[in-house]
Amino acid sequence: MSNRTFAVLGLFAEADKIVDAARQIRPRKLGRLEAYTPYPVHGLDRAIGLAPSRLGRLVMLMGVIGACLALLFEWWVSAVDYPLVTGGKPLFSWQAFVPVMFEVTVLFATFTAGLAMLFALNKLPCFGHPVLHSKAIKDITRDRLALSIEATGEAFDAEGARQALLDNGAEAVEIVPVPTWDRPLSLVGLLRTIAAIVAACVVAGAGLFAAEKLIPIVPPMLHMHNQPKLSAFRESAFFADGRGMRPAVAGTVARGHLPPAFATPEEAGTLLSNPLAFTQPVAERGRKVFNDHCAICHGTVGDGVPLLSLAYGGKPGNFLSNEIRARPAGHIFGVLTLGKNAMPSYAADLDENDRWAVVHYIRILQRAQNARDEDLP
Amino acid sequence: MKATTAPLPRALQPLELIQGKVSPGSLDDQVLGFPARRPPRAWYAALAMTLTALGIGSFCIGWTLYFGIGTWGNNRPVAWGFGIINFVFWVGIGHAGTLISAILFLFRARWRNAIARFAEAMTIFAVICAAIFPVLHTGRPWFAYWLFPYPNERSIWVNFRSPLIWDVFAVSTYFSVSLIYWYLGLVPDLASMRDRTPEGLRKRIYTVLSLGWRGAASHWVHYDKAYLLLAGLATGLVISVHSVVSFDFAVSLVPGWHMTIFPPYFVAGAIFAGFAMVVIALTVVRKTMNLSNLITDNHLDVMNKLILAMSCIMGYAYFMEGGTAWYSANPYIQHTFMNYVTGFYGWAGITTITCNIIIPQLFWFRRMRRSIPAMIFVALAVTLGMWMERFVIIVISLHQDYLPSAWHRYIPTKIDFGVLLGSFGLFFTLVLLFARVLPVIATSEMKASLSERQA
Repeated sequence: MSNRTFAVLGLFAEADKIVDAARQIRPRKLGRLEAYTPYPVHGLDRAIGLAPSRLGRLVMLMGVIGACLALLFEWWVSAVDYPLVTGGKPLFSWQAFVPVMFEVTVLFATFTAGLAMLFALNKLPCFGHPVLHSKAIKDITRDRLALSIEATGEAFDAEGARQALLDNGAEAVEIVPVPTWDRPLSLVGLLRTIAAIVAACVVAGAGLFAAEKLIPIVPPMLHMHNQPKLSAFRESAFFADGRGMRPAVAGTVARGHLPPAFATPEEAGTLLSNPLAFTQPVAERGRKVFNDHCAICHGTVGDGVPLLSLAYGGKPGNFLSNEIRARPAGHIFGVLTLGKNAMPSYAADLDENDRWAVVHYIRILQRAQNARDEDLP
Repeated sequence: MKATTAPLPRALQPLELIQGKVSPGSLDDQVLGFPARRPPRAWYAALAMTLTALGIGSFCIGWTLYFGIGTWGNNRPVAWGFGIINFVFWVGIGHAGTLISAILFLFRARWRNAIARFAEAMTIFAVICAAIFPVLHTGRPWFAYWLFPYPNERSIWVNFRSPLIWDVFAVSTYFSVSLIYWYLGLVPDLASMRDRTPEGLRKRIYTVLSLGWRGAASHWVHYDKAYLLLAGLATGLVISVHSVVSFDFAVSLVPGWHMTIFPPYFVAGAIFAGFAMVVIALTVVRKTMNLSNLITDNHLDVMNKLILAMSCIMGYAYFMEGGTAWYSANPYIQHTFMNYVTGFYGWAGITTITCNIIIPQLFWFRRMRRSIPAMIFVALAVTLGMWMERFVIIVISLHQDYLPSAWHRYIPTKIDFGVLLGSFGLFFTLVLLFARVLPVIATSEMKASLSERQA
């Protein structure tokens, strides 16, 4: 302990007496006045010259900020970043945003009132304050009220302060020296604590890792995660064919997918002709279907130069060849419906109209790539 | 003006809230002395019981996590079942604590000082118990963080128009605010504990928790203001929380749920159930911890009066439900309302009305309000009745709604009951531990009122 005085504490038993003493001593300007009490004493704050708390304004401000942020966030989420219509409500249906807005307001205000009061205004935690290390603190947090005259500079008259307190009815007086340590938390202690936390984390992590590797435990929550249900694209032991997805019942006819009345493309060529009129919309539709489904192998102009299947050694048909140009429309439709060589059937993917539209588009490609001089305008 | 000499009638006299002579010092010795003493045998016996209940509950929760909530009785259409019944029940229990500590603080009801700390602790523990159920009920508890709006790789957000997301915000805010409010009140008491505990580990723990509080007048100025502000904020919050919980029901279209009376009805019910739980705990605590001079018969008398008042509000709410059903002229709502007392689960409705409306009428008699066995009987009845009320609202409304072909009965399983038992075990374990290590009465508030009494 040093010889410099931090404060002189005078202990009182009753609230009235300490307020009176504070009123008497304050005009004498012996030092900064402070009081340490086990409970808040009404009037003491004014008697020692404390300004009213400005916490109210701070809490109000933070509450308003919380409300605005919450509404802004809800608007941005619901109307901008993820605009999803639910219940036919407008995207910014502010009435429904009020409950969350209210809760966030309270949350902001509470954190300000509680934590800002403790940590910012009162500057806690503070473990090294000289009064905490005085003899009187045991009484202060129990049933005694202490009026404290605190040194503001070198020229502090501790003896005068002591006498003033005794004259104004203090039961006991203690002179609290300035502690010799600079700071209550030593660097070594802090480093040791951090090292201990790091070591504990490493040991716990290593222990968990070892436990998981060494002890063959069932992964937790397995049953809740893996439910006994069918998944369309997954294997299933439930059905004899081992598939999760069920094939249609035999004889099922889907709308727009009548079963073909021909057995081979050649037969189709003799039986069928293109039922669609050769119009601009049909041709556009044909181009769309061709580019989506056919061009990947047959090339965008239908010349049989593949975009993708080259790597697999495929030899797709060249629509521009004389052989295919000579084929009737029904033959091409038959190939689309039944498939040919490596090409699968497109009956499931394209309905009849789409298939016929593609046939029209193939005719356009054939004509465009084999244009004669007379065709030019 | 002439001063009257005639004594005031008893109802207008200020309550005698302390028996015998109590000084700030003796208060500390009485209340803060507990943690230093060895706990009595009864405490260990009680702890063993609550830990057993907690163990059974933990086993059932583990079972649920391992096999899924198919082990619960939930079905379609009763998809909510015990999970939501228990959630609403426990959140409601918590409301009494906030009411006592915040609303009665604003009303300057002096009698709250002695019981506020305990009730606040019960709030926190009740909300912890409540949180278990919806998290398990999601069916994927490990994805519970999806409930919060956070930027994620799926580029989707929560739906802020859903009462369920309001619930997430309301309950998590309620827990944070209750915790801060409770801790703020504890700080000066923890400082007293720190200064009376001899050197050692306990003193270090109290030192850190009390943040070096030294009772400076410049600190009390801010502290008082903060406490007042928090009381105001918590008052609005406590009303909003159970209103939001009731929106989970009232905003839907299920017959029996879609009613405007739900928010006030739920808030009153929550306070009702919570007060009953506080009375049960207080009668035990003041007996076993010898606090009868601080938590007097007068305190319990006032609590019981509030229970009676709440019971009457509940009776009015039940009556209004019937009125809504009648006036709606909607056969589905009328069917659901009649189902409450006559259907397959009619016994639940009868129990609810008996326990919540009829039995608390005993408290019209002063002798009953001051008799420990009577008040424990009523409080237990109210606790049962309020749990049953949530059963009635959830199960009876859901099991028969608009589509008769979808009607289905709901039978809870052993696992359901086990998790419920476990939540009670958790609650009372936490209460017992709290009573051992922390001051159960807010001594700094009591000291302030003691000094005012002297003056």
